[in-house]
Amino acid sequence: MVVKNLPGILLALAACLIPLVYGGNGYIMGLMVSGLIVAGVALAWALLGNLGGMVSFGHAAFFGVGAYASALLSAKAGLPVPLSLLAGGAVAALSSLAMLPALRLSGPYFALAILAYAHIFKILATELSWLTGGSAGFARFPVLPTIAGIDFSSRIGSYWLLVVMVGLCLLAYRAVKASHVGTALRAMAESEDATRVVGVNATLLKAWMLLLSAFITGLFGAMNAHIINFLEPDYAFSGTWSVLPIIAAIFGGYRTILGPVAGAVAIYLFDQLVAKAILPVGHQIILGVLLAGMILIAPNGLFGLFGKKKTGAAHAAA
Amino acid sequence: MLEVRSLRAGYGAINVLWDVSLSFPKGELTAIVGPNGAGKTTLFRALMGLVPHQGEIRLDGRALKAKTWDLIEAGLVMVPEGRLVFKDMSVEENLSLGAYPRRCRKAQSRNLERVYELFPRLKERRGQPAGSLSGGEAQMVAMGRGMMSEPRILLIDEPSLGLAPVIVKEVLGIVRRLKAQGVTIALIEQNTHLALSVADNVHLMRSGKVLLSQKAAQVDLDRLHDLYLAREGGPANP
Repeated sequence: MVVKNLPGILLALAACLIPLVYGGNGYIMGLMVSGLIVAGVALAWALLGNLGGMVSFGHAAFFGVGAYASALLSAKAGLPVPLSLLAGGAVAALSSLAMLPALRLSGPYFALAILAYAHIFKILATELSWLTGGSAGFARFPVLPTIAGIDFSSRIGSYWLLVVMVGLCLLAYRAVKASHVGTALRAMAESEDATRVVGVNATLLKAWMLLLSAFITGLFGAMNAHIINFLEPDYAFSGTWSVLPIIAAIFGGYRTILGPVAGAVAIYLFDQLVAKAILPVGHQIILGVLLAGMILIAPNGLFGLFGKKKTGAAHAAA
Repeated sequence: MLEVRSLRAGYGAINVLWDVSLSFPKGELTAIVGPNGAGKTTLFRALMGLVPHQGEIRLDGRALKAKTWDLIEAGLVMVPEGRLVFKDMSVEENLSLGAYPRRCRKAQSRNLERVYELFPRLKERRGQPAGSLSGGEAQMVAMGRGMMSEPRILLIDEPSLGLAPVIVKEVLGIVRRLKAQGVTIALIEQNTHLALSVADNVHLMRSGKVLLSQKAAQVDLDRLHDLYLAREGGPANP
């Protein structure tokens, strides 16, 4: 059991050690905070991609909607920030309802539909300037609060909050995967016709996964907004929020639960610390090369390598 | 008792079933025999809500809803043709999918033990991917999965398909044991001798119509074969 959970234990240990070592280094902690934001979105993306079997190029929409919803609700409706964060997730989930008709589509058709869908929200945020401040941006909204003596708006404070949030999302993902729904979803990926025979309502399950994925993405979008404390449509709905989580999830292994999280932190730190030092302009190109290499060498990602070893051993035993 | 009256079903513009009326008495094994293309599988798929259809379907006197998952909740369960097991998933995961309907989850572990009693070989292979099983074992997984859904009536579509004669005998023996446990069974079987060896009642279908419905013990084999092969009576094969 310990061996099976080893990657998870190591990851948790690393999460606890980093602030002890780098706690004084604001730059590193800032990178970790951003890395964890990407990790949350990567996890949400992988949940939809792996369990739901749907590849999304539109998670920036949920990220931006969550960000704006939380910022606006806390600034204009006076909602306390912890509640507005959850509301951000809820509004993002609500916005995903508009995607439900696209669930009939599969593969590349779904990916294209959601890509177009993401743009709708960027346009809305730009055009509804009386509410969002339009392309000039929106800045006057509360930061993360201080609760029980912990200042969550500090780098260390928000770091710990994000670690807990990512941890809870990991547990939620694991619970869904282990449930009847998770088994049914895996079966669906193999043969949708056969799952119908068993009495699985495929469209309903996919809709739940989309809703859950959008909620988590919106939640992390909202967190990011209150940490950065400034929003503009080009930033909040940037394609980066769609692409970076995909790279991270695939790099880490999107069919594993921990892969997207580890992949996100690794990729983000590598991009900022190494790639940026080599190529100050256009450093994303190095990520592209890295991802291409990863797909060729280890198509199941970093964490897929663990699983691969296991099946290899099973074959040897058989 | 499952009763079907004036059932019509088909795929798009092509109609397959023409006014099919038949019944499956409670606690009995009813076989549906007939040549290829008779509409036997379409009948089962229509009963399960997998093919659009018109007509009346009643289970113990009550009309049924249209969606497959509602039908399974009502106790109508199908073991499909060609087994349709999930190859990448383990035997036990395949069986657990049979317990997906809400009403079957409470007794899932008890039902699993019952299935393993019925198919000891599946217990040995519980962790193996279903794709690595032989045809006979895959058929057992499909039937076990059906049993996990606590069927009031189990529709088994041609379990002997592609199996060696020895395995066919074994599979039919299990069908008989399921019946002994009180499950109402509807069985599609092309081989009339095999069907008559296990069935209480027989319906003969050809070209989307029921040509004969009889107690298995009263069947006149010559007449059955004449109808089966379209040698006399009934519509000519298209």
